[in-house]
Amino acid sequence: MNLNPSHLNLSRYEGCTITGALAVSAFIPDALTVVHGPAGCAHHNLSLLHATLLQHDRLFLPPVFSTGLGERDIIFGGEDALERTIERALEREPRAVCVISTCITETIGDDTDAVCSRDWGVPVIHLHSSGFLGGSFNEGFVNALKRVAGLVPPAKTQDGGINIVGEKNLEFEVEENFEEVARLLGMLDLDVNVRFVRNETVDDISLFSEGCLNILREPALEPIGRHFFEAFGQPYLSGFPVGLQGTREFLRAVGEACGSAADEAIAAEESLQDELAAEFADLEGEAISLSPFGFQCPEFSLLSEVAEAVGLRIDPEGTEIPVPFGAPVGTTGIRRMLHQWRRFLHA
Amino acid sequence: MKQIALYGKGGIGKSTTSANLSAALADRGLDIMQIGCDPKHDSTRMLMHGTWIPTVLDLVREKGDESISAEQVVFEGYRGIRCVEAGGPEPGVGCAGRGIIATFQLLERLDALRGDVIVYDVLGDVVCGGFAMPMREGYAQEIYLVTSGELMSLYAANNICKAIARLSRRVRSKCALGGVICNSANIAEEQALVEEFARRINSRMIAYVPRDRIVQVAEINRQTVIEYAPDSAQAGVYRALAAGVLENTGLTIPTPLEMDELESLALEFV
Repeated sequence: MNLNPSHLNLSRYEGCTITGALAVSAFIPDALTVVHGPAGCAHHNLSLLHATLLQHDRLFLPPVFSTGLGERDIIFGGEDALERTIERALEREPRAVCVISTCITETIGDDTDAVCSRDWGVPVIHLHSSGFLGGSFNEGFVNALKRVAGLVPPAKTQDGGINIVGEKNLEFEVEENFEEVARLLGMLDLDVNVRFVRNETVDDISLFSEGCLNILREPALEPIGRHFFEAFGQPYLSGFPVGLQGTREFLRAVGEACGSAADEAIAAEESLQDELAAEFADLEGEAISLSPFGFQCPEFSLLSEVAEAVGLRIDPEGTEIPVPFGAPVGTTGIRRMLHQWRRFLHA
Repeated sequence: MKQIALYGKGGIGKSTTSANLSAALADRGLDIMQIGCDPKHDSTRMLMHGTWIPTVLDLVREKGDESISAEQVVFEGYRGIRCVEAGGPEPGVGCAGRGIIATFQLLERLDALRGDVIVYDVLGDVVCGGFAMPMREGYAQEIYLVTSGELMSLYAANNICKAIARLSRRVRSKCALGGVICNSANIAEEQALVEEFARRINSRMIAYVPRDRIVQVAEINRQTVIEYAPDSAQAGVYRALAAGVLENTGLTIPTPLEMDELESLALEFV
């Protein structure tokens, strides 16, 4: 588990900007993606996306076009190939096209912006994505979110509920995490406006600016939170709820941001959390040790809070428990984690 | 087979010098090939009597590089000199440096790089790895710097020395500096200045080409000086250059100067 979005820590903060951009554009169902570069750039990144989702038992292969640049395009410029490929994509009548540029097109100086800004009949959005200029999966992802916001017109009113920003489309529990946030918002009588961007159409996305608050998936997305604050005046919370106390604080913060009283919801959530101790009473007094399996820098404070709540001891001699890859979201996430711990303890 | 390359600041007279050198070498009965490595593709025009020959990259653009034959890119000019122009993308798009690399790979594949002497005429400066191609992979073993006594021209020549010095550190490198050709801009003390510059970069001036109107007259007549006015003094200068290049054994690894050294050198001759 990792709460620190540092480049040293996690593969999400390494990798290729194209994968990050694709993890946004592929989740707009009525848009098509064009990767402007050699065929391998599209193939490799789409394969990675496909394989990751398949590992999560989701069969999903978004349509991605490649401009398939060869040496001739590199010498003479790839803009013609890009035009041809956008035309080919438009034959399928998408509502928008996302163009992902690559290292080589930035190196030879293709004016991808100019090609995209032509009148194509539908929005053609350039997602700048040349990894050699710096950045990784996360920069590609954040930048793509910013650019896709180009589909959003300014709003007259901001009473459209809560926007969820930057869901990790490639994480295993993406839907469960969303549902937990939606449940918590429901306790405050608040609705979700737009999931930016997860399986929302181009028309849905255009309603984004009507949201009254943006909830970011994680603190690493704060640049995008600030971006939307400047663009649409929307305040933001910088992450999904993490931890028992953190979940109660989340309710309070959302309530404050939306001007609704949260005390009742917080009390209800607290009693739900108290039930965890009863539900996992069989774990009381057992000893666990937390193993980062060598590739993460674990942040233990949240896990020790959970252990304490159900009466578990943290002891180097205890049963080895893997540190989760991402922090569990909300009380429900903690319950799922405790079920997992029980399986390890009673294995 | 001797392979030489001429480098120097844009507009300094590389193409004129290359073409006259090739012509003078051909007059000696040698089998000569000249390859223009500049997207402006005007290196071989005087050898071709004013004809703009199709460039290698024009053909690659139109047909792809699979179906190109040597006959389509190599053209015979004055005294059977085989002329090739690399060409390049439209100004402002693509990557001309990659184009030079692709051209060399294609010429190699077509087995077109042959003759007694190959003269590579390369654009103004070694702007990227692509334009260093003639110096790399054992193509041109002798580099000649074309310069006048103007500071910026010496500066460009000095920069090219940096590229030669860098490339010569590579294990497989066969490229070295053959000498400096002074193409006069009618500056006072020019010959002495360029001679001294050559000495300080660990080389020597192998020819002083005076400024002569006959060069422009020949060019208007779409010929080299060697062809248009073989009995002129200028033709004699180019023939002497050809002899100097053929007999040259003084190849060196250059020692480029720092900018302030170059400036103080120029000051000495003001």
